[in-house]
Amino acid sequence: MKKVIIGNHAVSYGVMLSRTQVIAAYPITPQTEVVEKLTELCSNNKKVKLLKVESEHSAMAACIGASMTGVRTFTATSSQGLALMHEVLHWAAGARLPIVMINVNRAMAAPWTLWADQNDSLSQRDTGWLQFYCESNQEVLDTIIQAFKISEEILLPSMVCLDGFFLSHTSEPVDIPLKKEVDAFLPKYKPKYQIDTDDPHAFGGVAGVDYYFEIRYQMQEAMEKGKSVIRKTGKDFKKVFGREYGLVEEYRCADAETILVTSGMIAGTLRVMVDEYRKKGKKIGMLKIRTFRPFPVEEVRRVLKKAKKVAVIDRNISFGHSGIFFQEVKAAMYNQDRSKRPPIFGFITGLGGRDVTPDIIYEIIDHTSLHSEPKSDIIWVGLKK
Amino acid sequence: MSKKIRLDRRKDIPPIAISLESTLSIKTGTWRYFSPLHKNKIPPCNHECPIGQDVRGFIELITKEKFGRALDLIRKDNPFAGVTGRVCYHPCESVCNREYFDGYVSIGALERAASDFGSDKKKKAIKDKKKKVAILGGGPAGLACAYHLRLMGYQVTVFEALPVLGGMLRIGIPDYRLPKNVLDKEISAIIDMGIEVRTDTRIGVDITMKELEKRYDAVFIATGAQLNKKLDIPGEELEKVVSGLKYLEDINLKRSVDVGEKAVIIGGGNTAFDSARSIVRAGSKATIIYRRTLDQMPAYIEEVEQGIEEEVEILYLTIPIKITENGNNRLDVECIKAELGKVDASGRRRPVPVSGSNFIIEADTVISAIGEDADLSYIPDKIKCRRGLICADENGVSSCVTIFAGGDIVEQPRTVAHAIGSGKKGALAIDRAFKKKIKETSQEELPVVEFESLNPDYFEEQKRTETPILTPLKRIRDNQEVKQGLKKDMAVKEALRCFSCGVCDHCENCLIFCPDLAVLKDVKGCKVLYDYCKGCGICMLECPRGVITMEKESAE
Repeated sequence: MKKVIIGNHAVSYGVMLSRTQVIAAYPITPQTEVVEKLTELCSNNKKVKLLKVESEHSAMAACIGASMTGVRTFTATSSQGLALMHEVLHWAAGARLPIVMINVNRAMAAPWTLWADQNDSLSQRDTGWLQFYCESNQEVLDTIIQAFKISEEILLPSMVCLDGFFLSHTSEPVDIPLKKEVDAFLPKYKPKYQIDTDDPHAFGGVAGVDYYFEIRYQMQEAMEKGKSVIRKTGKDFKKVFGREYGLVEEYRCADAETILVTSGMIAGTLRVMVDEYRKKGKKIGMLKIRTFRPFPVEEVRRVLKKAKKVAVIDRNISFGHSGIFFQEVKAAMYNQDRSKRPPIFGFITGLGGRDVTPDIIYEIIDHTSLHSEPKSDIIWVGLKK
Repeated sequence: MSKKIRLDRRKDIPPIAISLESTLSIKTGTWRYFSPLHKNKIPPCNHECPIGQDVRGFIELITKEKFGRALDLIRKDNPFAGVTGRVCYHPCESVCNREYFDGYVSIGALERAASDFGSDKKKKAIKDKKKKVAILGGGPAGLACAYHLRLMGYQVTVFEALPVLGGMLRIGIPDYRLPKNVLDKEISAIIDMGIEVRTDTRIGVDITMKELEKRYDAVFIATGAQLNKKLDIPGEELEKVVSGLKYLEDINLKRSVDVGEKAVIIGGGNTAFDSARSIVRAGSKATIIYRRTLDQMPAYIEEVEQGIEEEVEILYLTIPIKITENGNNRLDVECIKAELGKVDASGRRRPVPVSGSNFIIEADTVISAIGEDADLSYIPDKIKCRRGLICADENGVSSCVTIFAGGDIVEQPRTVAHAIGSGKKGALAIDRAFKKKIKETSQEELPVVEFESLNPDYFEEQKRTETPILTPLKRIRDNQEVKQGLKKDMAVKEALRCFSCGVCDHCENCLIFCPDLAVLKDVKGCKVLYDYCKGCGICMLECPRGVITMEKESAE
């Protein structure tokens, strides 16, 4: 059934379709509608427990506790809220709990702001969470269902990101899958480890120098395994629902001379721009990176090695260096034959929710075609003179 | 002690930090210095009851609407639930811990509710024992003793001087406080157990103590105190000066009495008030003269208050000095005003006459009600007496091993509850004497629960359910029972206010709060798993009713 809904409500429907059992969340703009809608959808549902908590740190702590008892668990946050969760994000991943959360991307304060950029979630890069960046409300709903399946298989938590306001508050037609189809795709969570009062064990105790190293090794192993699980889950999902998502999405890349790399809703604008350039006979393609963690090194190499030039568009910045996706793409390309390493341009634009318009994209493409190689690691676009 | 596990291969190491062995192998109980113990204590109401009733127990049964079982439980100790539910002064209420929270529980009203709504079960046939006991006096002490002895199978004969049983319950308490049908029902239930009754039999007149001692294995003396104390003033001997007890007896036995338009009652006890209020109901005026003040009056405050509502006039600090007949065929009671002086032997301030303050009250009848003495004229010399009463120990054993005593003839507070209690204790003492047991079987002395050991956080404030009381107009006009009983739902609501001090009611707080999951529930209730209890004491703190105590571990 298709409904015209905002991105935040797409989240809520995805969570309910996944038969989530415990939800603990604290409202924050621009995530609030997620919790509001969930409260409404849960109100008469005895199979879900929605916990009101006093902070995001508590929300994640409650999710950790709930998840340890072997139930499907969800939370939603944004920006400062995510930052407040930081300490427990490590714990959730280290305890290998398949919690799913959405983060509505919002720039970090100060100065106070409510609008989108990716610095909040990218700051949590090394916490051990899977990270997905969505382009449309449909992808948001579909990714939540998939994230539970992926997380429960590899025992790592997932963070699904959507751009604040551009997706969270924009209405789009969304195909809401049937309950029984989702049930078949995502069966009941069967935890490998869980708290059981009949067979009590100590959880999260000390692992000294004898074992911590190996436990961390296994986390990385799980991340690596995650790549194939994400690919397979995407294919399985297509069989039921007709929509496929992988670690990346290539759009008209096969013969492209210049490939634009980006993530999140900017991909939607790029898709249209690529078509326009193609109409003029320009060989432009787009590589959308959907999964930031685990990072799709293989896909990136395979797609970009044939291009003459690569332009990475970042709505984020790692202060003191450059755009974060730019760094990651560059790093992925380095340890291979020189012939497979086209020049990579790093553009930073749209911080704090400034619109990334077609004009910005023209400028990026113009800049890339005019220069044989980048003169610096950051090329600012849309910045006041 | 668990063995040390070493994992050398990567594939053996679990992906999360989880203990490989169950934590049940970690006996954290060894860390403990103090052990929590679920141990029921004595609720203050139970402790204070002169009859030794399980007050808390019957209230709990009422919370479950089991009025019949509540009555059965009361009747284990007290065959007069309907009587004590009405006229006991309820020492239990005065010690109720709920008083420190939002007001004591109306225990008296609940006892009455048990008798109002609980129906008597058919008693099982009693197997007769050989021993025979004579009970002297068919009042509450004598009948309670007879009841308990009969329950134990002894053959019992009750001797009563009056033509009817009940003693002070019948002749001393007016209908508006204790309807006769309630009393009749409870007395016949006792007699129906197979007790021989000899009414109109006065000891020392119709039968001697010697004969009784010969024919019975034991004697229980409970003839009470019915001799009116002398006023010791001129005019006392006049025809229209009558004793309070005599007046009440006449009223209660429906003999015709006329006190004229106005009566003066001398005294400040319950007999004085019962007389005054009965006089008001007979349509006459009643004036009580009392030589001290209200707070020194021995009458129950409830009686005083209700008497005042019924327009009984009370003159405090007033001493009668002379009664004379005047020309109008009425009596002149000459009084003198008093003021309070130094504290006397009774612990109260002594009234001192104020000279020249004499005044006269005219009345048709004077009722003297300043107290009663026991008739010891038939008591043989071998029984030790002191200050006009039989000397008996706390179990009613007199100086003679086969003679026991209770009620108002021994030194104890003159209340219905104490009388019934002494009857029960006497019966138990007689049983022990027959079985040649010297002492009571000693039981562990459990502490009485104080408010401080409760956790009132778990109780919600709830005002006491007041007993409905008839308006003064209505109760005088119809001479109906002043206090009406609680309705069933009111009784249950009131019973639910009981804290259940010191007695586990399976609230499971200990189980909920134990941080080590070291409290388990089974059919008998909650119990501590000492292998895992660290002795933190949280269960004790969170127990609402002070059931759990922390006891020091004995050093081994």
